[in-house]
This record gives sequence, C-alpha cells and structure tokens, in this order.
Amino acid sequence: MSQNLALMELTGVRKTFGMTEVLHSIDLKINKGSHAVIFGPSGSGKSTLLRCMNLLEEPDVGSIKFMQTEYGPGLANTKKVKREKPIELRRKVGMVFQQFNLFPHLSALDNLSLPFRSVNGGSLNDARERAAHELKKVGLLKLAASYPSELSGGQQQRVAIARALSLDPELMLFDEPTSALDPELVGEVLAVMRDLAESGMTMVIVTHEMNFAREIGDLNIFMEDGNIVATGGSDFFENCTNERAQEFIGSVL
Amino acid sequence: MDEGGVAPVNFMWHLIWDYKEVLLKGLITAINVSIWALIISMVVGMLFALARMSHFKIVAGFATAYVNIFRGIPALVSVIWVYFGWSLLFGHNFTVFQAGVIALTLLYSSFFCEIFRSALQAIPKGQREAGLALGLTRGRIFRSISLPQATKIAIPNISSMYIGMIKDTSTFTVIGLSEVVRVTQDLNSTYFQPFVLYTAAAGLYVMIAFLVDFIFRNVELNLSYPPRGRVSRFLKRKEKIRVEELISST
Repeated sequence: MSQNLALMELTGVRKTFGMTEVLHSIDLKINKGSHAVIFGPSGSGKSTLLRCMNLLEEPDVGSIKFMQTEYGPGLANTKKVKREKPIELRRKVGMVFQQFNLFPHLSALDNLSLPFRSVNGGSLNDARERAAHELKKVGLLKLAASYPSELSGGQQQRVAIARALSLDPELMLFDEPTSALDPELVGEVLAVMRDLAESGMTMVIVTHEMNFAREIGDLNIFMEDGNIVATGGSDFFENCTNERAQEFIGSVL
Repeated sequence: MDEGGVAPVNFMWHLIWDYKEVLLKGLITAINVSIWALIISMVVGMLFALARMSHFKIVAGFATAYVNIFRGIPALVSVIWVYFGWSLLFGHNFTVFQAGVIALTLLYSSFFCEIFRSALQAIPKGQREAGLALGLTRGRIFRSISLPQATKIAIPNISSMYIGMIKDTSTFTVIGLSEVVRVTQDLNSTYFQPFVLYTAAAGLYVMIAFLVDFIFRNVELNLSYPPRGRVSRFLKRKEKIRVEELISST
C-alpha cells in the first residue's frame, strides 16, 4: 500500500556538468502529502537535484517516476522504457525560484493568467478570474494590477507561489525561496508556504531556513558533495546521528 | 544677372514654399520605402537572430556570414547591385521602389539581426526557466515572454536604425527614385539654388529624425513596465476598468 503513495521516485539519478559529477546516483522517494526539506552546504547539489525533479536539468542517468509515469533518461543497465515529455511533468509540478522569476512585462494578475491560459486554454476573462482567486489566497488581490517592479521581494515571491499554484500542481518545488529576500520579508513568504503545507500539498523545499525546516519537514534530507548523506523524519533535528549533518545543523541553527 | 565677377547673393528662399508639395512628396517616398524596408528587415533580422543563436552550426554560420557581408556594404553599392545587377544576371527588372526596399532590407536585416540577438541574450535565463517550469511550450515562451521583453530592449536601437534607413534612401537617387535628394537635384537643375534647396532637404531629414524619435519614445513608454505615457493610458483604459472590477468582485 505504502509504495503506491510515492508521488515521485528518483532512482540512480546522476548529473554531470563538464567534468564534475554533481549528483552521484541519488535515490529518493517523495510520498504524497509529505513535506521534504533538502539542506546542506553550498555546492552540495541541492538545487541541481530539485531542478532534476522537473527536468529543468536533464539527468545523465536515472529514473524519474512521477505519478506512475517514467520521465528520466532511465537507468544504464535496464532496457529503455517509454518516457513522457518533460512538459507533461512540468504541468503537474510547480516550481518557485530563488529569484522569483516573475515576468516583468506583465501585471501580477497576468503573470498568473498567461500561463494558466496557455496550459488550460479558455478565455482571458476565465483565466484572470482564476488568477484573482489565487492572488487572494496569498493576500495580494489588491495588488493584482501592479507590475513586479512595483512589488516588494516578499510580495513578488508570493505572486510566484500563486502563479505555480494556479496550475493545480500535484507537487511544489521550492528552490531557496527566501534566500533573495530582506530578513523582514522572509516571514510573509514562509507564512504562505506554511498554509500550503497545512492544506496537504506535497512539497520539496531547498532552504537554509532551518527553523522552518524543523517546523514543517517530515522528510529531512541532508546533502553533501552530491550525495544524500542522511535522511530522517520530523525528529531529525533532535535525533540525527550523522556527524556531518549534526555539525551542519549546529552551525546554521 | 550680373556679368562676370562674383555672383550676387540672391537666395530664393521662396522656392521652398513654392515647391513644398514636390519636396514633401519626395519625403513621403523616402518614408514609404524605408517603412516597408523597416518592417521586412525586422522580421528577417529576427529570423537571422534566431538562426545565429541556433545549435546547428551550419545555420548559425550562415547567419553570421550574412551579417558580416551585408553590414559591410554601403547602401549606394547595394541598390546599384539590386537594380542593375539583378536585371543583368536574371533578366528580371525590379521597379525603383522595389529595388530600394530590397537594398535597404538586405543591409538593415543584418543590423537588426545583431540588435535582436543582443536583446534576446540580455533577458535573464530565469525568464525562460520560469516559462518551462510552468509547462509552457517553447513557442509560447518566445512569443509571450522573450519577444515582448526583447522588443523593449531593442526599441532605442531600432529607432536609430530607422533614422539611418531614411537617410540611406538618399542614395537611391542613382536609380531614379524620386526621394528627397532626387527632387532637390531636379529643382536645382532648373533654378541653380543649391544652398536653398539642400538646406530644405537637410531640414526635411532633421524634421523626420525628430518625429521618429518622438514616435519611438512613445512606443518605449508604452512598452515599459508598468506602461507609462498618455498613449498607453488611453489604449489600456478599458482594460484597467475591467481589472478593477475583477478585483472588487473577487
């Protein structure tokens, strides 16, 4: 029963940039409804791993199974399986970037309505109605007509989260969503993410916010040098036995 | 007329007024040729920009060669080649108007290629990634995300290029296109008033430069984020009301 709950399963994922292998055969299972937090020192491969999950980085080797469908290039020693196109995966996996990556030439409203409409079709009015509802959920309806340049970093990131959510994703990926924010703006973004976690969304979060990780992470993943060094449940921060992970947690908490 | 010695200074400024229609007609011809060439070379230039950024080396190499060849050819040489050369080689005659548009397009599409390439490359790569992550097709990302942002970046350069294109139409006098310089020459051969007539011609070119600058500055305002200027406010007034209604009803 429990293996049916795996929403995404990575097996033997390897990624090389030039001569350096940045991910060494990663295995990872993300269950439906779980909140996975990936942390570790810079250059440990956290972001690359996250970006492999929606194929923004195509792994060199490895299987990426999402909702029972195979997307990755496959394992080296198995026969080739038929795999779906990345676009099908991406339409069910939302991603939030460190730099927000809102479209600067569109209002907050149309940052949501443009992708919604190109994915789901329908009229501009329907797409905008949906967009307005999503902005309301993150508390930004009043700023719907504003352009990204008129919004604070925290507001921009909340729009970016609303944009990803408007496509009804099954899984949300967060790539250091608060790292580019001024300290006083971090809270509002984390609050939105907390609500999302409580609503049961499956989330994978790369973050340096260890307090937040401790609060919501029910699958905690410590990475170093392209390997998953230690994993654990909600009690990971209290009962972690891995020396390197302990050292890292101690240095950032 | 005085006989011998230095000719008296007798500027017939009224000629400008008397022949204002002829001069303006020359100007309109110049604008007409250059606008067609502008539109076509922007499209061709964009295609070459994409070709130059292609992963296929042959395609990129072809575009690079094109740019380097046609950026180097003067308008005068280009139009003579198109008008007389084409007819000699293939026995098909272009009209002077067509030859002018083609000559300008050949030259300026190479400049527009470079303008669009640098504009497209100036867009942060996160924009494309965001589009991909949202499950947009490559075509949609290009049309709705890259192209509008690149256009905004390119506008000041397009404006300068267009002024250059209008000026280059002056060389088309060699194939007999009745543009500003041609009509000036014709009037001058009748009245021998080069100072007056060429001052008028210069004035027309400068006037157009100001006008082009004004238009493109408004386009730029309209394309800025958020859009600024009266024109954009006028164009977007209905949409603004619709969005306000949506916000209050949600």
